[in-house]
Amino acid sequence: MSEEFQESLIAYIQKFLPFVTSALWVLFSYIPLDSAVANNLRPDMGLMCVFFWTLHRPDVFNLFSVYFLGLVVDIITAAPFGSNVFSFLVMYLLVSNLAAYFNAKPFVVTWYGFSLFCLVTMLARWLLVSVYYSKFLPLPLLMFSVFATIAFYPVIGLVNAFVQNSLMKDEG
Amino acid sequence: MKRRKVLFIHLSNIRLLVKKFAIVILFISAFAMMLINKTDTVIIEKTSSVATDVVSPLIDVLVIPARLLASVYDYVHELKKIREDNALLRDENKKLVMMTGKARALEIENKLLSGLLNYTPPPEATFVTARVIAEEGNAFSHSLIAYTAGNPNVKKGQVVLSENGVIGRIEQVGQMYSKIILITDINSKIPVVVERTRARGILSGDNTSIPKLVFVPLDAKLAIGDRVVTSGVAGVFPPGLPVGKIISVDKNDIKVKVLGNLDRVEYVRIVDYNIIDDSENSQDTSLMIEAKADE
Repeated sequence: MSEEFQESLIAYIQKFLPFVTSALWVLFSYIPLDSAVANNLRPDMGLMCVFFWTLHRPDVFNLFSVYFLGLVVDIITAAPFGSNVFSFLVMYLLVSNLAAYFNAKPFVVTWYGFSLFCLVTMLARWLLVSVYYSKFLPLPLLMFSVFATIAFYPVIGLVNAFVQNSLMKDEG
Repeated sequence: MKRRKVLFIHLSNIRLLVKKFAIVILFISAFAMMLINKTDTVIIEKTSSVATDVVSPLIDVLVIPARLLASVYDYVHELKKIREDNALLRDENKKLVMMTGKARALEIENKLLSGLLNYTPPPEATFVTARVIAEEGNAFSHSLIAYTAGNPNVKKGQVVLSENGVIGRIEQVGQMYSKIILITDINSKIPVVVERTRARGILSGDNTSIPKLVFVPLDAKLAIGDRVVTSGVAGVFPPGLPVGKIISVDKNDIKVKVLGNLDRVEYVRIVDYNIIDDSENSQDTSLMIEAKADE
């Protein structure tokens, strides 16, 4: 194997690393847990990953990565097909338009930003799926999911930051 | 040179245009998928079941270390409870021995009476035990994915039971994995009957952990603690399967606690009561009778 080929292979893998990491997080979040609380209050790993990678590495995690990640989640869940794609696209839209506000800001600010975006995205999806079923879905359960997602973000952010800093090349 | 430049401008313009409208196109495709799903076409269902077969093995691999950790925790936790459990089991065993005697006597009596009435027994049920590999429960849906290893006996619509009662039905059958809709899911509607009063109703999931009993007659006398079992109406679920217990009775809000533990489902039983096939057969028979009558 020539060195050139090896380098291009590594570069190719690095390009897909955010998507692969996100997909793994998503799959991991559907593992059965022996707890009523954990099974009903699962954080939305996909949403966290979309926020993180769109904010930090938009060069390798683009719109199509977001779309395909949404499809993966839609395949696993029994929610209306396309609703996860919709929520991930809303998150992408918010982050890609407001990313400048998070430049060179401490983590807490990013976390606040994520909290707000997460709430908006989840409420948008809740409204869409409620219209789909012509019936309001349980809002308290949704709010618990929002809180669980917000609370879990630092963990996902930390692991994703590790992946970015140690396994990927810098942007450009 | 000029032509090349024009072509270059055109391509870059198209690329820009696509880039600009890509998000709009993808949003439209998401809505389109939801609409197709709403109209219940088989396209989404088939695509989804094939895709589930592709994605599920990955979850299956991730489950192994998680299960290992959980079993270690459970082992330590259960060691503490072993003495209490032992005493409880001894008591339960005494009661069960007494009940077995009664059940045997009733079985013989039932056989004798059935013979007298020329009663045709329902077809015997066959079941497949499947391991749960993925679980989902949130405001949007409640479902499981189980490893059914391409068993040909697993079909869409079959009843899924845990050790205590009905927990759902098969929604999608793939080559190796099947998707199960839980009775707490918003799409789940099961015809049930209250065991004590024989009042009929529909157990309707609403994506919370406590489904509601709807379409119950206004004069139905219900009490907290009443057992709810399947009624067998509509011919999808066989009658008499335990579903849950009534935990609250308000004017228009009757809530039922599911008997099957939905939070600790490791294995499920997918039961084939031959009801779906029988109804298809009976439809065929009725069609044949109609055709003969026409002749």
